[in-house]
Amino acid sequence: MLPGTGVVGAVAVGSLELSIRTIAQLGSDTCGSLPPDVAFVCENAGYLAGGLVLTIALTIASLLVGLVAGFPAGAIEVYGGRYASLAVEAVGTVFRGTPIVVILIFAYFVVPITDWFPIQRVLPVGGAFVAAVVGLGLRSAAYQSQLFRGTLQSVDEGQMEAARAVGLSKLGAIRHVIVPQALRRSVPGFQNEFTIVLKDTSVAIAIGLAELFTRSQDLFVQRTTAVTEVILLISAVYFVMTFGTNRALEYLNDYYAIPGEST
Amino acid sequence: MSETGATRTTADTGRVVSGSLGRWLTIAGGVLFWGWLLARWLNNWFLPAGVGVPPGESFLDPAAVAPISDSLAFAVEYLPQLADAAWLTVVLTVVSIVLGFVFAVPVSVARVYGTYSSTVSLAFTELIRGTPLLAQLFVLYYALNLSTLFRGLPDDGFLPSAVVYVAIIGFTINSVAYQAEYIRSALLSVDREQLTAARAIGLSQRQGIRHVVLPQALRFAIPGWSNELVYLIKYSSLAAFITVPELFNVARSIAADNFAYTGIFALVAVLYLGLVISASKLMAGVERRVAIPGLGGTASQ
Amino acid sequence: MSDYDPLLTVESVSKRYGDERVLNDVSFTMDRGDVTVMMGPSGSGKSTLLRCVNRLTEVDSGEIRLGDHRVTDPGIDVDALRRDVGMVFQDINLFTHLTALKNVTLGLREVRGFSTDDAREAATEQLERVGLGDQLDSYPGELSGGQKQRVGIARALAMEPELLLFDEPTSALDPELVGEVTAVMADLAAGGMTMLVVTHEKGFAREAATDALFLDAGSIAERGPPAQLFENPENERTAEFLDRVSTVSGEP
Ligand SMILES: Nc1ncnc2c1ncn2[C@@H]1O[C@H](COP(=O)(O)OP(=O)(O)O)[C@@H](O)[C@H]1O
Ligand SMILES: [Mg+2]
Repeated sequence: MLPGTGVVGAVAVGSLELSIRTIAQLGSDTCGSLPPDVAFVCENAGYLAGGLVLTIALTIASLLVGLVAGFPAGAIEVYGGRYASLAVEAVGTVFRGTPIVVILIFAYFVVPITDWFPIQRVLPVGGAFVAAVVGLGLRSAAYQSQLFRGTLQSVDEGQMEAARAVGLSKLGAIRHVIVPQALRRSVPGFQNEFTIVLKDTSVAIAIGLAELFTRSQDLFVQRTTAVTEVILLISAVYFVMTFGTNRALEYLNDYYAIPGEST
Repeated sequence: MSETGATRTTADTGRVVSGSLGRWLTIAGGVLFWGWLLARWLNNWFLPAGVGVPPGESFLDPAAVAPISDSLAFAVEYLPQLADAAWLTVVLTVVSIVLGFVFAVPVSVARVYGTYSSTVSLAFTELIRGTPLLAQLFVLYYALNLSTLFRGLPDDGFLPSAVVYVAIIGFTINSVAYQAEYIRSALLSVDREQLTAARAIGLSQRQGIRHVVLPQALRFAIPGWSNELVYLIKYSSLAAFITVPELFNVARSIAADNFAYTGIFALVAVLYLGLVISASKLMAGVERRVAIPGLGGTASQ
Repeated sequence: MSDYDPLLTVESVSKRYGDERVLNDVSFTMDRGDVTVMMGPSGSGKSTLLRCVNRLTEVDSGEIRLGDHRVTDPGIDVDALRRDVGMVFQDINLFTHLTALKNVTLGLREVRGFSTDDAREAATEQLERVGLGDQLDSYPGELSGGQKQRVGIARALAMEPELLLFDEPTSALDPELVGEVTAVMADLAAGGMTMLVVTHEKGFAREAATDALFLDAGSIAERGPPAQLFENPENERTAEFLDRVSTVSGEP
C-alpha cells in the first residue's frame, strides 16, 4: 500500500504542476481585460499554483509520515506490553494536546530536525518544508494511532480465536486476519484525517513555508485592495480539494466494502 | 457525508496516569494549575490598585529561585505573562463553544428534520468544514474588515478588544458547523420510534423533538463536545494571525525578543496541555453526571 | 349521539406500499367498551391498520371516523386526534431518558396542560393502576420488559383516550413476563376501556375480548366472537394460522 501511494502521489503532484503551469500561461495572456483586482489575482495564478503544489505535497507527505508512524503506534497500544503502550499513549497525548502551530514552531525553531533529516539536500525542498512534514506528520501519527487502535479493537475477538484455531501464530493472525479487516474499517477515519491535515497545512504560514496560504497572504499584502478576491479564491481551492477528495474516498470506500459489512 | 467524517479523534488523555496514586497526582496537578491561573487573573483584574503584584510580574522573585534551578527561574520569570494571555485563550474557547451551541442546535435540527432548510444547513456545514479555519479568520478580518465594527470598545486586558470579537465571531461560525455535525449524528442515533411514540401520545413534531429526541441526542453528543472543546482550545492559537494577543501570540513575541524559543514554547505547550487535559476530564465528568441507566451505554466508554 | 353510533368506523380502507397491497378494502366498526382482538400472519397489515387509526400512517382510500374525528380528512388536527387515541407498541418505546413517572407526566404536561403537581399525581395513579407504584423513579434501563410495557400502558392511559391501540404488546417479552401485561390489559377491558388489540395470546382473547378479527393479506378473512373463531374457524387460512399459533404457544 505504501510505495504505491507514494508513487501515485508523486505522479499526481507532477502532472498537477504541469497542468497548472499551462493554465497559468494561458491565463496571464487574457488577464488584462478583467477588473483590476481580479486581473491581479489572474496574473499571479502561477505563483498561487506553485503554492498549491507545495500544499498538496505537504499533505501527502505528512499523511504518509502519519501512517508509517501511526499504524505501529496504534498496534502497540492494542497488542504491546504495558510500558510500551503507556509510552506511546503519553507521547500521543502530548501531540494531540498541543496546538499544531506550537508543534510547527518546535519543529522549525527548537528541534534541529533539518540537521537530523537533511532531506532538503536530496530533494528540492526547503528546511521549512521538512519541518512542516515532521510536525504535521507526527501530529497526524498521534491521531492515526487512535484511529487504528479503535479499528483494531473493533475487529471481533472471535476472529483472533478462529485464526489461532486454524494454526496461525498470534503475529500471523494479526497480519492476515485482523489488520486487513481493520484497515478497511479505517477508511472513513482516514478520510477525516486527510481533511484535517490538508486544512492545517495553512498553519505552516507560521514558519514561513511558501504553501498556498502563505502565498495568498504575500499577494494581498502586495495589493491590499485584492484581499477579498485572493482569500475567496484560495478558500474555494481548499474547498474543492477537501470536497472532491472526500467524495472520491467515499466512493472507494463503498466500492471496496466487504458485502454484508457496513462501515 | 459519512458519519465518521464529523468526528475529530478525542485527545484521549484519561488513561495515561492510572491507579489511585495517578488519580491523586492528577487532582493535585489540576488544583495547582487552576489555582495558580485563577490567582493570576484575580491579581490582574480584580484586586484594588496597590494590592498584589503588577500584571505580568511573578509572585515569586525569579532571582530568588535561580540558585535552585535556572529553568525554574526562567519559568517563574515568564509564566505570569503567559498566564495572563491564557485568559484570552479561555475566553475565546468558552464563548465560542457556548455561542456555537446556541446556533448549532437549530442548524442540526434543520439538517435532520427540515426540507429546504436542510439543504441550506448542509451547504453551510460543508463549506465551513471544507475550508481552513485560518482562511475563515482572514475573510472576517482582512476581507470584511470586521474589526472596525468593534472600534472604541474598552480594552483593559480583561474585557476583550476589537479583534477579539472578530476572532470570537470566526470561531463561533466554525464551531456551529462542527457542533451541528456532532448533534446531527447524535440526532440520527436516537431511535426513530422514540419520535413515533411521542407523536402517539399527542405531542407535535416540534414538542417531540424538543422533549424526547433532543434530550437523548444531546447526551450522545457529549463526546463530540469534548472534541470540540479541545479543538477550540488548540485552534484559538490561530487568532494570533489576526493579531489577537492570546497565549500563542504572546509567547511568540516574547520568544522573538529573547530568542529563548525552547523554553518559552515548552512552557506554552505545558499550558495548552493543562487546558486540554482539564477540558477532557471536565467533559468526562459531565458525561458521567448526566448518564442515565440504559441510555447510550456505549457512548460513555 | 345515539347508542347505535359506533366509536370507531373503518370503511373500505386500502393502502399500498409501492406495488404491495398492504390493506385491501378493510371495513369494521367498534362500539364504546368493545375489546376487539386482531390476529393474522406477519406482514398481513395489522400494524399498518392500527397506525392508520391514529394517522401515524395515511390511508390511500377509504374512510376512518373516531367519535367526532374524521381521521382520514387531510385537514384535521392530528395532535388532537392522537390525544383521544392511545397506543402501546410492540417494542414498547419508552422514552429512554426519562424515569417511569416522567414518561407518563410528559404528555400530561405538554399535551393536556397539567401543572407539574397535578401531572405527578395523575401519573402516580396510573402507574399504581398497572402495579408499578414502587418504580416511579426507575429509568427504563432499570426495568424488566414486563414492567416497561406496563409503564407504556400507563403512559397511554394517562391521556384518558377514548380508544387504546395495542400492537403486539407482549411479543417482545420473555414468556414468563407475558402474564403480568395481559393481566393489566384484562383489567382495563373489564373496566370498560375500548381496546383494539393485535395479539396472538388466545388466553387473553378468550377472557377479555368481545370480538376477534382475522386479517389475511390485507383483508379481513373472518370476524366473530373469539370462542367461535377459535373453535370453529370457517376460513381455511384462519384455521391453519390458529393451529400454528397454538403449537407455538403450547396451548391445547
Ligand atoms: N413504511 C413502510 N414502507 C414500506 N412497506 C411497509 C411499510 N410499513 C409496512 N410495510 C409493509 O407492509 C406490509 C404489512 O406490514 P405490517 O402492517 O407491519 O404487518 P403486520 O403488522 O401484520 O406484521 C409488510 O409487507 C411490510 O413490509
Ligand atoms: Mg406488526
